[in-house]
Parts: sequence; C-alpha cells; structure tokens
Amino acid sequence: MLRRGDYLVLLATLLLLPWLYLTFWGDQRAGEYAQILVGGEQLELVSLRQPQTLEVEGYLGLSLLEVLEGKIRFVASACQNKQCVHRRWISLGGEVVSCLPNRVSIAILGDEQRFDAINF
Amino acid sequence: MNPLGHRKILTQPSDHRIAWWAALAITIHIVESALPSPVPGLKLGLANVIVVAVLVLYGWRDAVWVALLRVLVGSLLVGTFLTPTFMLSLSGACASLLALGAGYYYSRLLPSWGLGALGYSLLAAQAHMLGQFAVAYFVLIPHPALFKLLPVLMTAALVFGVISGMIAVAMIDKVQKRVNGGTSR
Repeated sequence: MLRRGDYLVLLATLLLLPWLYLTFWGDQRAGEYAQILVGGEQLELVSLRQPQTLEVEGYLGLSLLEVLEGKIRFVASACQNKQCVHRRWISLGGEVVSCLPNRVSIAILGDEQRFDAINF
Repeated sequence: MNPLGHRKILTQPSDHRIAWWAALAITIHIVESALPSPVPGLKLGLANVIVVAVLVLYGWRDAVWVALLRVLVGSLLVGTFLTPTFMLSLSGACASLLALGAGYYYSRLLPSWGLGALGYSLLAAQAHMLGQFAVAYFVLIPHPALFKLLPVLMTAALVFGVISGMIAVAMIDKVQKRVNGGTSR
C-alpha cells in the first residue's frame, strides 16, 4: 500500500522534528568563559573548556573553584553559610554565583544573557 | 441567451465532479468546526483527506479547486469569512496545495519513487501547519516566543497527517474498487 515516496516523506519529517526541537527548545546560551571577580576587581577570564581547579584569595580566605565540562562551581569557600557552594554548577551565559562574605563572584560570559540584571 | 436574458453556463462533467467532492469537503469542514479544539489552529484536518483523495484520483488542478472552494464556502457557512481564522485556513490551504503540487509533479517525474496518499497527506499536513504558522507569526502575533510552539505543532501535524493519510488510503481504495466495478455514478 505504501509507496517508496511515502517513506521518503515520513523520513524527512522524522528528521525535521528533532531539528525543530533542538533549534527552538534547546539551550544555546552555554557560556565559553567565566569572569572571576574579587571585591569588584576582575582577576582573570577562565575558559570553561579546560578542566581545572582554582584557588582564589578572597577577603576572608581561600575560595576553591572547579571547572569541568563547560561548568564552574565553588567547591569550598572561607565563608560561614556556604551559600556559594550550595548554588552548585553554573554554565549558562549571564549566570552568576557569588560568595558575598568572601567577596568572590563568578559570572559566565555568553552571547546571550540569561538575565538582564540581578539585584542582591 | 435564453428568454430571461441569462446566458446558460455550460458545465463539464469535471465541474460536477469538483462540485461533488467540494460539497463533501465542506460538509466535513463544518462538522469538524463544531468539535472543540484544545489549542487554536490544532485540528484533525479531516477535510484534507478529501483534497488528498481528489489529488490521487483526478490530479492537482481538481485538488486546488476543491481545497479553495472548501475554504471559501466553508468559512461563509461557518461564519468566519475574512476573520483571522479564515486567513489561517486560507494560508494553510495555499501552502499545502503548493506542497502537494510539488509532490504530485515530482511523483510524475519519478514514478518509482513517487508518493502515495499517505505521503501526500503527511506533506499536506506539514505544509498546512507551516503556512498557518507563517501567517500567525508575520501577521497576527509577531513575537519570538511563538517559535516555542512550532515543534509541538509540527509533531501534531505529523500525527494528524498520518491518521488522515491512512483514512485517505482506505477511502481511495474503496472509490477505485467502485469505479472499476462499474457501480460508481
């Protein structure tokens, strides 16, 4: 009953749909670099492509950062409540995680920003 | 000219045939418009079964007539003529007719890789949805968030296209059997 052209159309449709989902539902805002600030001063730009651990000297003590597979997080920080550690991984452009007591913050730089502005 | 001053319009058998099929499509269109729909613009599109059947049985020209008559007369009877619904319906019909035309002449060119009723129906459903979406985006709601709906709508078009394609296959089979058996009018 089915002709070969039918399968062709069906195949084309089945290929088109995943592409549509990836294009319109996928998240393309993954950032390439993380900007690390200590007390408002920029330390360095860290590429998220290279797995590494960083030690950043803050106002209270050391903050330990980890970069893995396009994400970055606080592993440990010399603060009391560890809000920054509990925030876990960030990876999307415009995302920010900061340790206010230690005055260390990480912001992901990307073409598209997730948020227009953030207030604390 | 007859005595009343009217010119008699000569109709061909093909005109009668188109009228019959269009009437069938319009009836289905009206019945379907009475069914509630979960999302605006999302319908089973059973009237397209008729268009696909006409395409397979009589060719693209007849399918164009039936589809356009269906949109025009159907909207007049339902009461949506020249409303946004009508614009969506018309743009969908035009897009699906263009796609069907392309598919039809492609099938003539390469008969061994040609399309059957299911392929036509799927093609028509996808093109119908894209045509509607284009008008919805460029004319009615030009907002980028609308694109988030596109994958869902196209998935629905796939499902509905396959369903109406299977109906069309069964229908064409019966019609052809009747024509071959000589019981058709």
